[in-house]
Amino acid sequence: MEAVMIHSLSKTYPSGKQALKDLSLSIGGGEVFGFLGPNGAGKTTTVKLLTGVLTPTAGSCSVMGIDPARQPEKAHLVSGIVTEHAQMYDNLTGMENLLFYAAAFGLPRQEGKARAESLLRELDLTDAKDRRLASYSTGMRQRLSLARALIHRPDVLFLDEPTSGLDPESAQNVNQMIHGLARREGITVFLCTHQLRYAQEICTRYGLIEQGSLLAAGTLEELRGRLFAAKTLRIRAANVLGNPNLTECKLKRRRDDEFEAEIRENEEIPALIRTLVEGGGDIYSVSLEEPSLEDIYFALTDKRNDSRDNRKGEAR
Amino acid sequence: MNTAMSAIIRKDFRGVSANRRLFSSLLILPLLLVVVMPSIFIVMIHLMPDDPDTAKLLAIMPASARLSSMELTLSGMVVNYVLPAFFLMIPISTASIMAASAFVGEKERHTLETLLYCPLTLAQIFRAKVMASFLLSMLVSLISLAAMFAVVETEAVFLMGTLLVPSISWAVVILLVSPAISLIAITLIVRGSAKAQSVEESQQSAVFLIVPLILLIVGQFSGILLLNVWLLLGLGLACAAVAALLLKTAMGKFSYERLLQ
Ligand SMILES: Nc1ncnc2c1ncn2[C@@H]1O[C@H](COP(=O)(O)OP(=O)(O)O)[C@@H](O)[C@H]1O
Ligand SMILES: [Mg+2]
Repeated sequence: MEAVMIHSLSKTYPSGKQALKDLSLSIGGGEVFGFLGPNGAGKTTTVKLLTGVLTPTAGSCSVMGIDPARQPEKAHLVSGIVTEHAQMYDNLTGMENLLFYAAAFGLPRQEGKARAESLLRELDLTDAKDRRLASYSTGMRQRLSLARALIHRPDVLFLDEPTSGLDPESAQNVNQMIHGLARREGITVFLCTHQLRYAQEICTRYGLIEQGSLLAAGTLEELRGRLFAAKTLRIRAANVLGNPNLTECKLKRRRDDEFEAEIRENEEIPALIRTLVEGGGDIYSVSLEEPSLEDIYFALTDKRNDSRDNRKGEAR
Repeated sequence: MNTAMSAIIRKDFRGVSANRRLFSSLLILPLLLVVVMPSIFIVMIHLMPDDPDTAKLLAIMPASARLSSMELTLSGMVVNYVLPAFFLMIPISTASIMAASAFVGEKERHTLETLLYCPLTLAQIFRAKVMASFLLSMLVSLISLAAMFAVVETEAVFLMGTLLVPSISWAVVILLVSPAISLIAITLIVRGSAKAQSVEESQQSAVFLIVPLILLIVGQFSGILLLNVWLLLGLGLACAAVAALLLKTAMGKFSYERLLQ
């Protein structure tokens, strides 16, 4: 069974705003899925539909086989949810907050306490556990929210912009913790963010969304393969210009000792280097530049804008 | 009632006792109503000279309300006709303050969304919250009641040398009218809570409940109403019916989308 299934999901708000258009996705157990897109793309709307606090205008979705629109309380039992607006009680301490949510999720008191303590330890909050939440920094609150969402050992963790509003160091911290927890507990993660760099560090698969429509989904390799035919190999080397087989290598000179080659498969690299060395070249460094998530994202949005422009052109 | 719901109720109770402003606003009115006001009445009656107008008023009183001295008769009237109306303000105000904090307060502090993500149906969350407000309101009312009788009887013994006997009406007030109007206040607050964006705004939706009560007090003072126990019973049953109806329809208006607006 897939952990999350989304089938032709659409949502139009009462205001008339169509926030989600015919979205289909499926996420397997244990995946860390990055749901990426700019502000207003429809990420939060998707999370709200998946957690049952919004009802779809069309289509359907399920979390661990449960339809959140029909049985939100059952879906909540298998979901951990961290969103910007899901805060905890300022007048309670970190520990008291976790104990309350443990009880609200039906955990026996002793089990709730043990679970809370182990999560506080993992999230580096043990020293602050008896302080009121009012004195917590944004980063600490965010980590406590993670602990809260994980208290009942959910199967799927929904994270909506968990690192927004954090300074780079805290963001890095939270990101690493998500990564570690997901791996150790074998949880499926649905991570929404517009910060592509953080996503690339921890996600195993991605979905890119813009204006309510899915642009593409797949692993980084799949997306690269789909969008970029070639990769760039950067080589720093000396004594290569005299090489008789240089044209065969399709090497382009960038600066004195810097060269670039466009390759399609990683398997081309050894042969290329061998040719250079056998021709008397001295190699100082070789680096393969692969398109980042950001490159992929911009390539996708460019492509979409191009095709839209073309369509407009044809209409005229 | 499952453990999750009782966790919510316990948490709401703690929220009140931890919030000093909320706690003192809960205490001030009862203190004023059950300690200060009755004392003023009793002392005033004690100091009042015997004048013919009051004697005339007393003459139209039912025989059962007449006691050996004018002072005792008047004090008895205050205890059995005036104080119940004052007392009823306590469940209304406590229930309103608590319900506003439990529903709109959570929304204001962005903790409602987290609560909605618990494995409870909306109906269960709704019931837990109403229950928390209701229990607190009854608790504060009973404590106030005990305090009021302690103060009034002490003063009576001290000033008149005898205890004042409460009438059967008090039983109706405590067991029927007070729970019923406290539920009415809660549901009115809850109905307004989807729209209200602040606790203060939401508390106002129950303020007009005080109006009939003030009319009742004025009526009792001027001797127009002097509710007998059967009238009171009828009134209590009517309130209970209204409370049940309001409770039913308020739940129907509950939805995630409305709550998170
Ligand atoms: N309650 C709402 N009513 C009307 N429009 C909304 C509502 N919530 C979000 N939107 C609109 O829907 C679109 C998608 O919003 P959202 O899902 O919050 O995007 P994201 O989380 O990707 O930034 C935006 O254009 C936003 O303005
Ligand atoms: Mg968002």
